[in-house]
Amino acid sequence: MAAIGIRNLSKSFDGFQALSKFSLDVQQGEFLTLLGPSGCGKTTLLKIISGFLEPSTGSISIGGEDITHVPPESRDTALCFQSYALFPHLNVLQNLEFGLKQKRVSRDQRDARVSEVAAKLGLETQLSKLPNQLSGGQQQRVSLGRALVMRPSVILFDEPLSNLDAKLRDQVRVEIRRIQQDYSLTAIYVTHDQSEALAMSDRIVVLNDGKIVQVDTPEQLYAQPKTRFVADFIGGANLITGRVCSQTKENLTSVETLMGQIQTSHRINKSSENVELCWRPERAQIGKGPYCGTIVHRAFQGQFTDLILEENDMIFRIQTNNDRFRVGEVITFSILPDDVVVLEADG
Amino acid sequence: MTMRNWIQIFALLMPGLGLILVLIGSVVYIAIAQSFGYYALLGESAFSTEFWSEVFSRKIFSRAVRYSIYIGFWSAVLSVALAYPLAIWLRKPFPGSIGLGALLKAPLLVHGLVAAFLYINVISYNGLLNQTMQGIGIWAEPRRLQNDSNAFGVLLLQVWKNMPFALLVLTGSVQGISDDVLDAARDLGAGPWARFRKIIAPLTMSGMQAAMVIIFIGALADFTFQTTVGPTNRQSMAQLMVSFKSRGDWHSAAVVGVSLMIIALLGSALLALLTRTVMRGSPR
Repeated sequence: MAAIGIRNLSKSFDGFQALSKFSLDVQQGEFLTLLGPSGCGKTTLLKIISGFLEPSTGSISIGGEDITHVPPESRDTALCFQSYALFPHLNVLQNLEFGLKQKRVSRDQRDARVSEVAAKLGLETQLSKLPNQLSGGQQQRVSLGRALVMRPSVILFDEPLSNLDAKLRDQVRVEIRRIQQDYSLTAIYVTHDQSEALAMSDRIVVLNDGKIVQVDTPEQLYAQPKTRFVADFIGGANLITGRVCSQTKENLTSVETLMGQIQTSHRINKSSENVELCWRPERAQIGKGPYCGTIVHRAFQGQFTDLILEENDMIFRIQTNNDRFRVGEVITFSILPDDVVVLEADG
Repeated sequence: MTMRNWIQIFALLMPGLGLILVLIGSVVYIAIAQSFGYYALLGESAFSTEFWSEVFSRKIFSRAVRYSIYIGFWSAVLSVALAYPLAIWLRKPFPGSIGLGALLKAPLLVHGLVAAFLYINVISYNGLLNQTMQGIGIWAEPRRLQNDSNAFGVLLLQVWKNMPFALLVLTGSVQGISDDVLDAARDLGAGPWARFRKIIAPLTMSGMQAAMVIIFIGALADFTFQTTVGPTNRQSMAQLMVSFKSRGDWHSAAVVGVSLMIIALLGSALLALLTRTVMRGSPR
């Protein structure tokens, strides 16, 4: 049985459809990320799961029990807020204990759980401090600890790293994932940061306009985006339209594009159909190849160099480990058929 | 710091200091001095504690003290208790909330004396309340409701007059609490009362204490409502002070006045402490 079952969930606000017939199962111990641009409905979904919003239609169950109309205080979920939402007048210990006291957990149990979580999160020396005496990372850990001590069936994260600087974000990202795995928690994580989603998740749900666009593992989502929206939203992507011109026995399809003929090993159902192709910038193999372009912009990024190429009024992006290329140079490159993905039409 | 800095600071503080030291300080000084026999308007001025011992020995004084504290305490508590749910309700804007908020604060613009007369008209023997109660058949005959011995009329008017002030103070404090903090409490299992008791009340403590203390001091020294709708068998401290003055006994009036100030000061401190203790509770 799925830990969370969402069936035909819809939510509208004054005529605006925030979520539309949304169905999804989340497995026990899974780390699932809701990814999408602002306004795509991911926070609305999280608020419905946590009980702060009621769906217009549809139902939600946790562990098989329908909780659609159960108020937040009675749900077996814990939410980590983007703003941390620590109680400013209570110290770290009191913040951690708050939920346990509400649930009337015995003093011994309370102390044991708080000690365990505080040790796990490295908060033992901060217990007597007020939230305003903590750094952003420490506040984030208290917020996480406050949820963890509750030992909820489901833990929900609403863009918890968005207020942290880049370095701390990487560090806390790893901590959250480690703790989720240590406690075998079922986690739903909301973010608009694709790198965060790729790094942390077992599965990612890409949302747009209140609908699921694709649900997949990070690897699959990156390598096999189904639509232009997903390809463009997750990582860098070169998108090009073309016309299918031939199919070979090796199951390769040639597509005529402005770049020239591009071969793809991905299946195309109908011949002579106009299709949209996608290939990732780091998949281009610089050197010999059928394609070429003039470097119009170069950006050194540390581990790689971003090159923007122009050819036939088209712009491509290529990433390479080689930093010797300069603006104005003409380079040739190839793309393996396996790295060229055929996209479905959006919507 | 140089002398120039000191002079500059002193000059900047002068308008405030002048008001406090000259206007308030002189009144306090005169009241204290008069209570000890100085500044006699009639007769000889000399240091004496007889006015204190005489006033303190009178039963009417201790009754007035108890009565004034009763009015002050309950006016403060009831005003704040009524203002809190309204402040929480008006925390988030909704259609008509601005108009409603303005309407609730309207009593601030009505003078207490006008309110008292309106109240008398409503509860008088042939007033609106008696007519209504008879009209709907609850009372067979009109009842005498004016100047009730428990001072419910005074308390009602005090709350009517002071609740908007408490609402004004508390609305600002309650609006300062972020939605996320309240949602977090709810998410962790806190119901409405627990959210109020453990989150809203402690985070609005300063506003609540300010409202309580200011209302307490005002109601403690009430004269208008007491003389208009108050019980005829009791006197408030302000009423007692005026009655001493009317008899030309300025020294005894000063004793009552100084006592009023001391009670206001101590009462405010105790009320603030009580509020803090009740609302914060024990940490574990």
